[in-house]
This record gives sequence, C-alpha cells and structure tokens, in this order.
Amino acid sequence: MSLEELAFLVLAVVAVGTGLAALLVRELVHTILWVSVFFVDLSAIYFLLEAPFLGVLQLGVYAGAVTVLLLFGIMVTRKRIFSRDAATGLGPVPLALAAVTFIFLVASVGEFPSAPTTLQVYDPSALSALLFGTDGPWLLLLGIIMMSGVAGAIYLVREGRE
Amino acid sequence: MVLGLLIAVGEMLSPGTYVNSQFTWLHLAGSPGTFPNGVSLVVGTLVDPLSALLLLVVTVVGFLVMLYSIGYMHQDRGLPRYYAELSLFLAAMTGLVLSNNLLEFFLFWELVGVCSYFLIGFYYEKPSAASAAKEAFLVTRIGDVLFLLGIFIYFYHFSTVGPSGGWAANGFVFANGTAPYLPVVSGSGSTLLTVAGLMILGGAAGKSAQFPLHVWLPDAMEGPTTVSALIHAATMVAAGVYLLAITSVFIGFTSTDQLAIVAIGGFTAFFAATMAVVHPDIKRVIAYSTISQLGYMVLAVGAGFAMVGLYHLFTHAFFKALLFLAAGSVIHAIGTQDLFKMGGLRKSMRVTSAAFLIGGLALAGIPPFAGFWSKDDILGAVYSQLGSHPLYWPFFLLAFAAVFLTAYYIFRAWFLAFSGDHTRDPTLPHAHEGPWVMQVPLVILSAFAVVAGLFIFLPNFQALLLNGAGATGIPPVYGPTDLALSGISVGLGVAGIGLAYWLWGNGRVYALPEDSPLQSVRKVLLHRYYFKVAYDWVGLRLVYGISRGADFVDRYVIDGTVRGLERVFGSVSNGLRRAQTGAVSDYAGYVIAGLLGVFVLLLIVAPYLLSKMGGG
Amino acid sequence: MTGLPVADLLVLSGALLAVGIFGLLTRRNFILILIAVEVAMNATILNFVYFAAFAPTAAGLSGQAIAVVLIGFAATEVAVGLAIVLALNRIKGTINVAQATELRE
Repeated sequence: MSLEELAFLVLAVVAVGTGLAALLVRELVHTILWVSVFFVDLSAIYFLLEAPFLGVLQLGVYAGAVTVLLLFGIMVTRKRIFSRDAATGLGPVPLALAAVTFIFLVASVGEFPSAPTTLQVYDPSALSALLFGTDGPWLLLLGIIMMSGVAGAIYLVREGRE
Repeated sequence: MVLGLLIAVGEMLSPGTYVNSQFTWLHLAGSPGTFPNGVSLVVGTLVDPLSALLLLVVTVVGFLVMLYSIGYMHQDRGLPRYYAELSLFLAAMTGLVLSNNLLEFFLFWELVGVCSYFLIGFYYEKPSAASAAKEAFLVTRIGDVLFLLGIFIYFYHFSTVGPSGGWAANGFVFANGTAPYLPVVSGSGSTLLTVAGLMILGGAAGKSAQFPLHVWLPDAMEGPTTVSALIHAATMVAAGVYLLAITSVFIGFTSTDQLAIVAIGGFTAFFAATMAVVHPDIKRVIAYSTISQLGYMVLAVGAGFAMVGLYHLFTHAFFKALLFLAAGSVIHAIGTQDLFKMGGLRKSMRVTSAAFLIGGLALAGIPPFAGFWSKDDILGAVYSQLGSHPLYWPFFLLAFAAVFLTAYYIFRAWFLAFSGDHTRDPTLPHAHEGPWVMQVPLVILSAFAVVAGLFIFLPNFQALLLNGAGATGIPPVYGPTDLALSGISVGLGVAGIGLAYWLWGNGRVYALPEDSPLQSVRKVLLHRYYFKVAYDWVGLRLVYGISRGADFVDRYVIDGTVRGLERVFGSVSNGLRRAQTGAVSDYAGYVIAGLLGVFVLLLIVAPYLLSKMGGG
Repeated sequence: MTGLPVADLLVLSGALLAVGIFGLLTRRNFILILIAVEVAMNATILNFVYFAAFAPTAAGLSGQAIAVVLIGFAATEVAVGLAIVLALNRIKGTINVAQATELRE
C-alpha cells in the first residue's frame, strides 16, 4: 500500500465520519464545526487527486464562505446559539433508501479497476485556459445563474413582506 | 385602401398576371390509399384579376364607410368597439379576397361571419338586435357547414388531380403560374362532384342570403346603417358570389349544379324584389333589393359567366353602399326608418336626396348609370345560354320581371322619403344634412354609381374581367340582340318608375282598397311569405325535440358515465391524499425512491428483459 | 506519480451520497437539510474530479471545469437556501420543516 493510498483511506474515513457526525450531533454549532472539517478534508482529497485549483476553490468557497453563511443562518434563526435540535428518530425508510443507494452504487463499482491507476496531472493554467477560453460561455452562464440566485435570495429576505 | 387601389390598378395595367406567394405550414405525409401524396395546409396570398376586382371594392367602400361612420356614429358610446370590429371585418375581408386556397378562404369566411355577428348585434341592449345577430349567425352557419362539406368532397375527389401530386397535396391552391389548377369540369363529372357543387352553392346561399337562407339579411338591418352598407350590401354578402365565381373558374360546376345555381339566383332575384315592394322600412327595402341583386349575380355565375357576375358585384357594391349611406343619412337626421312617416326631405337634404336618386337610377338600370351596364350584361349573358337548358327560361323571365319590380320599389322609397312638401309625421325633428364626413362619401359614391359601369369601356378594366382565369367572354360589344334586351329592360325600368310616381309621387300615399283581392298578396308579402314563422316552428318543434333527446342522453348516459368515473377517482384520490403530508422531507424521500426505481428499471430490469427477448 | 484505485474512490462518493440522502430525509432542521444537500453535492463533485484524474487524455480536464461550475452552483444554492431559511423563520417563527406543511392539500 503506497503512501497515497494510505492517505486516501484516512481522508475517506474522515470524510464519511465527519459527514455523519455533522448530521447527527444535537448541537447546531457542533454541526458547523464538523462540516467545516468535512469541507477541508475534501479539499485535501482534491489535492491528492492532483487538482490543486479545485482544492483551493473548495477551501475558499466551501470551508470559507459556505461555512460562514451557515453559521450566520444559525445565528439569525436561534435565540441562543447553543440550543439543541428537536430530537428526530432515524426512521427505517430513510435508512433503507440510503442503504439501497449505497449498495446500488457500490455494486456498479465492479466495472472499474480496483488496482491503483496512474493519475493524470493537469496544469492549473490549462484549466483556467479552458474555463476562460473554450468553455467561456459556460462560465458566463454560471455567472448569470448565480446572479439570478442571489437576486432571488435578496427578494426572499426583503423586509416588509409577509 | 391605397394599397388595394395600387394592386388593383397594377393588375389592370398588366392583365392576367398572378402574384402568388405562399408557405406551407403543415404537410402531412402521404399514406397509401386516399391521399397517396399527402395533404398540405397552405397559407398564401394570391393576387389575380378576380381578387384585384374585389380588393378595389372592399378597400374603397370600406374607406368611405369608415369616413362616413365618423359622422354617423359620433354620439355612440360603443365607438371604440365599433371601429375595432369594423377594422377586424375589413382585415378579414381583405384576407378572404387575397387568400390563395380554399381552406384559408374558409377561415376568413368564418371570420367575416363572426364580425357580421358582432356588428349586427352592435346595439346588444336591444333584444331584436341580439336575436337578429343570432339569427344571422345561425342561418349562415347552415351554409358554412355545407361549404365545409363541399370542401371535404373536393378534398377527397381531387386528392390526386392537379400538379405536384394532387390538389390536396398542394393545399387547395387556386392558381399556379398563369393557369388554373384544375380543368373546368362543367358538363361532365360524377355525382359526387354535383353534390360538392350543391354544397358550395349552399355555402354561398347562406352568405349571400339566397333563397331559402335569405331570412337573416333583412333582420340584419338591426345593426348600424353603416354596417349594413359595408357588410350587408357591398362586401360580405358578395363573398358568397365571389366563392361561386372562384369555384366555377378554378374547379367548375357540373351542369346540374349550374341549373341549381341559375334557379336559385333567378328565383331569389324575383322573390326578394316582391317583398321589397310593400315594406315600410327604408333599410329593409334596400336589404331586399340587395338580396335580389345578389340573385342576379348568382344567376350570372350559374349561366357560366362568372366574371359578369363579379362585374355586377363591382358596380352593385358602389350604388348599394350609396343607397344605404343615403338612407343612413336620413335616419340620422330624423331618427326613424318608417317610410310612411317621412316625406318632403328633398328640400332639407339636397345632397342625400340626389345621392339616393342616383343610387336608385343605378339600381333600376337606367343608362348610363352603373347598374344598367352590369345588369344588362347579366341578362344578355343568361339569354345567350338559354339554348343550353330548357329550364333556364322561367328563371330568365323571373329575372326580367324583377327589373320592373326593382325600379318600382326603389322609387317608391325615394318618392315616399323625399318628395312632397313636408314630413307626414309632424313630431319628427327638423331634418338637416349631416356633417361633411357624411356628405363626402355620398358624393364620391355617387360619382362611382354614375361611372362605375362605364369602366367596362376602359381597355385595362375590361382586361381585368376578360383575363379572369377561365372566364368566358362577357359581351362588351352590343349587338342587335343585346340592344333589344337592353331596350326591354330599360323600358321595364322606366315603367316601374312611372308606376311608382303615379302611386306615390308628389307626396301621394297610395292605399290599397280594403276589399281588393291584392290585399291578401300584400299580407303574404308583408309577412315575408311566412318564412320566419316556418323557420321558428321548425326551430321550436323539431330542434327542441332533438335537443330534448340529446339532453336525455347527456343527462343519463354521458353524465352517468362521468359520475361513475368521478366516484372511482374520488376514492382513489382519497387514498392518495393521505400521502400528501406537506412535509418537505417526505417529498424528497418520494423523489429519491422514484429515481432509484428508474435506475433499477433502466440498469437491471431492462437489460434482463432485453436478454430474455433475444436482444434488441 | 503513483496512483489510486478508482473503485475505492467510487465507494467513498457512494458513501457520501448515502450519508447526504440519509440526512436529507431524517433531519427536521432546515439548516441541517441544507448541509445534507451539500454533502451529497460534494459526493457528485468528487466524482467529476477523479474521473478527470483517471481520464486517459487531457480531454479529462473538462471534468475539472465542470467541478468548478458545480462548486459555484452549490454556493448559489446555499445562498438561496439560507434566504428561504430566513423567510421561513420570519413567517413561522421556526425553521423546523415538520411544521411547514402548507403543501398539504
């Protein structure tokens, strides 16, 4: 087992563990803590996969912006930050659905090689050339969608409407 | 209007040209069997001599009526509605004239029908106007259904005949280059074609108020007089004649059809004229006269001279619109339509009086006014065909007799309204001319009524008529036979005017003696041959009976089925309703379960099934 | 460079997706639901990234480009989701979706 594989295994276990923890802990602030660890862990996986640009993006957007946004949401909607979520049972049906999804996906893994495969290494500048060159319209579309999303968000939280 | 004039003049300058632009908006691929080459639905514009002639009428008369309406309708609350409907009508009429295929023609045909319905019922507060509108709509609807059936038959019959693989595949287009699409089949053809021709005749009879579908036109006078002038005299009712003309030119009628057309035209010409003789309402007299004149046009088309009919349509549009607008001017001034209350208006309304007189002379067929030329052409044309079928004779004679009646009734109206010293009903307001916007159209139309007939001597205009596709020649040259016929008809016209003067001139009012045997005839005429009563009876007894049967079926068979289904669905949905908890998480669960189900189907079940069925 | 087994990576993203779905269905707090969606979304993005890494040619770079776009989408989605959270909080005084059942017939 190479160092990369070992690192990946650790990171994968941490990812699943923090993801579950984020969703299962009772206190919302702890959720935020776990989820930020989850995001950082994923960015580490991106670095491992030779995608440094995405890793940085993941750090900036998810571990940074999204986490802060979520924290902000909790602060606004709670009188006390450290209050607990209403208890919810696990429920057999959601559990079954999640399990079926997982089994289904794992069952299809068999089509891919389980032996280590050499990674393709890309130059980050090639990615930017792609994004701002040939894929430029897509980026533009992304911008438009984000703009309209933000506009919609502002409309939703506007004061004075019921 | 300017565009219409330009097109018409252009058509006159280059006779026989066709401008045809079209695009196919739907083509159904052919299937072996009835329509091997498929069916096309085409939208297009066709300018040919026929449409150019009509275009001239529609745009000029339409413009003048619009102008006149400014004065006539100025105090009406519904003015915006009026102009909107009138504009829609003109647009539809122009579209009808310019359409290049039967289906498009039918669409516009329905559109003008519905505009006519709106405008007849313009004073919808009046129950009589509302019911007249309904009557007009329903009666013409009978014709429309027949017309549609006729189209279906042609559709079926000519599916493979014509260029590019059949008429149906070409979308019913009338013209191709300079030649008509289909050979004229008059004199030959199957029973089916005869039936189709009769159906088309039915459609035309509905629109042009020919016997026995004539009842709606007099009642349509409930609408504003301007509407009567434009729609129910000059343009829309002429669409029926136009339909017969294009059908005869491009498709042709069988000889049986031609006889039927001649019969209906000749009979209507006389029949409507008799009713006009006794009627006291100035507008209805003119309305009956319209029916009668339309009968002449139909007669001409039936005799095989479509272009002669259109020529009369052309002149008639001007002088009949003139008569209506003059009558409207009178109604506008004194507020009544009853001829027996009027009188002496000649002094206070000089322009109107002169206009009505010119219109009357044109209608009566006194040379050199417009009606003389075209009406004589019709009579001459029919006379030349008398040898082809023995049954033409009675209808020719009826048409001739109608000339006398026409002259009599229109001058009866003129003498009653305009001659004498004073109005018979002293309570009427003092008459005065309308504003200039009402007088100018009268003057212009008067000019047309005088000279429109003479247009035939302009080589270019004559070319317009002679170059109508497949048109058989009209007699522009007056031989001895024509002169004799003209002499007789003018003589009859003058006699009619003379009789009218003797009975009604100088403010006289002729009262038929109470014990006269003619009293009963008068009664029948006043009751319009009891046609309305008969139709009402049919409507009440027959249709109501059928409706009750239909109601029973609807209530117990159809509704029963629907209610049963309703109960089934009701119980099913009651069960489903419990699934709607409103909680977002549950919905998300359904979505994910559904997605998983789709994946299972696609990736596991489908391959399995395919392998079982031997691959696919 | 050494390599990584594709199969293991796919198992990871499958597991993350399952965790996301599970959270989405069981949590009643709207913010937690948002986080669950983010987890599932990240599983998707992860897939794009490593299929890009294992693509035989440089054309796989498009996978990373799509991943960038998806991160952008996810961020927008969080913004809109939080706006909904705030609106919900103002209207109903709670962000417990179990109490927001207006969709019921």
